[in-house]
Amino acid sequence: MSRIEATGLTLQRGSKTVLDGVDFAAGPTGAIAVIGPNGAGKSSLAKILAGLIADHAGAASIAGRPLASLTGPERTALIGYVPQSFHPHWDITPRMLVQMGAERGAKADAAAIAAVLTAREIDPIADRRWSALSGGEQARALLASVEVTDPPILIADEPGASLDIRHRIDLVRGFAERGRERLVIVVLHDIELATTWFERVVVMDQGRIAADLPSAELAGSDVLPRVFRVPFETIVVDGVAIARPASGRHT
Amino acid sequence: MIRVWATLAALLVAAILLGLAAGHDWAGPAEIVRALSGDPSLDSRLIADWRLPRVLAAAGVGALLGLGGCLFQGLFRNPLAEPYLLGSAGGAAIGATVALLVPLGVPQHWLLPVLAFLGAWGATLLVLGVSRVAGAVDAAGLLLAGVAIAAVLGALRSFLMLALSDETVSLQVVLSWTLGGIQTPGWSGLALLAALTLACFLLAQRTARGLDLLGLGEAMAHGFGLDVKRFVALAVLVGAAVVAVAVSFGGLVAFVGLAAPHIARWLVGPRHGPLIPASGLVGAIVVVLADAIARSALPPAEVPLGLITAVAGGPFFLILLARRLRS
Repeated sequence: MSRIEATGLTLQRGSKTVLDGVDFAAGPTGAIAVIGPNGAGKSSLAKILAGLIADHAGAASIAGRPLASLTGPERTALIGYVPQSFHPHWDITPRMLVQMGAERGAKADAAAIAAVLTAREIDPIADRRWSALSGGEQARALLASVEVTDPPILIADEPGASLDIRHRIDLVRGFAERGRERLVIVVLHDIELATTWFERVVVMDQGRIAADLPSAELAGSDVLPRVFRVPFETIVVDGVAIARPASGRHT
Repeated sequence: MIRVWATLAALLVAAILLGLAAGHDWAGPAEIVRALSGDPSLDSRLIADWRLPRVLAAAGVGALLGLGGCLFQGLFRNPLAEPYLLGSAGGAAIGATVALLVPLGVPQHWLLPVLAFLGAWGATLLVLGVSRVAGAVDAAGLLLAGVAIAAVLGALRSFLMLALSDETVSLQVVLSWTLGGIQTPGWSGLALLAALTLACFLLAQRTARGLDLLGLGEAMAHGFGLDVKRFVALAVLVGAAVVAVAVSFGGLVAFVGLAAPHIARWLVGPRHGPLIPASGLVGAIVVVLADAIARSALPPAEVPLGLITAVAGGPFFLILLARRLRS
């Protein structure tokens, strides 16, 4: 079972303490959103959990094994990581990218590639050059290249930032469904989407975890206004409590 | 895809036949057929035992230059990277100059490739280190670092040539070699070149997946399971080996390593699995043609091969550079 555990994660970058004693545990299933203001340490946490940063203090392990002890193939068989920004150096096509993603695992074959291209609606643009794709098309291709091996743990750093609203909702709905059988950890900026679709929300602030709550408890608590320093309101839709910034326009 | 490979193979065969025909006396098709079928006359023997190994050596050197260029472009993630421009070939040339001019008591045909390899390896690590430290993996920054290093290495080589040459070792030999030119090898020399070219190709082919992943950026490559540091160190070794063999047999030949992967990328796309062999084939075709021109342009003299490729390749490079800087 792929349970991910971290204790006392601390990361220095120059004189800045990016992460300051973060404890985190999750899995083997669940859909978890990580939110927080700019510079809170969300991306660094995601990278450490994905095994991509080694020079941190504190312990991180996956299924009981220290992350640092995994070989590259072992790590990528367990963890799929979607980076925040991705700029290939060569003008590849989405199909090539997904093929490269598929080659990292034993499971992915031609059928898996075809399935993920269809699922992410990339079929019509699969053979276009990267430079000819829109930001949202690139983001979907990137996601597909990671999803194609169907990893037990998916860690995505703002995968929805450049997607239009329909694809963004598709994306988080897909993550929520995936979280029933596997582990999904997603860094998000959209607090409404986070509290709508994710069962658990981790709020980060200045390198620490300010709150780690079921999303129903987060909406209505004082954490969000304290951390983001804007007023929030709670709306209830179909029995789900959703937090959103109070615009203040009609008061 | 099969059509592309068939076309490249046919072009290589055609280039080799043209290379057999070219010289200060042009041979016709009938003469070539007669020579290759074992005719004992002097003219036929000249073609079969003199021109044929030379043309095949040109194909081998060209394939190595194409492979080297492809490796360097993939490694530096930069379509303007090339062993000659980045100083690696210059490093190999220093090693080779020492081998040619310093009597070290070791047979020269062993010493030359070994020292060329060490020179190419050191120079490549130097460029890689400088571009890392300066954070210059972009086209212009990397090329500037490479050009500076190539200039220093060139000066060092000239100094060695002046300081070390005496009556027993002709400066002319080293000079003509640094201008780029394929010596006509014996059959055993050709067999050695063929074996080394094949070994280099197989080694290069094993870097294909790593180069593909590296082209996605270091973060993504790491995420897809590549040990980036280890891979880069290994790929630099393979690149240095390819450059060293190319320089040992062909001297300093500019721009083929730049042009061949570009042409190959147009034909087979950016993935290194097909790109590496295609670059080798295109390089072989280009150098066989350039060598044919070198042998036939100014009869009875021979124009250095490196001059031909520089005159043809320089403008190609400038066009690529202009296009890249504009975008």
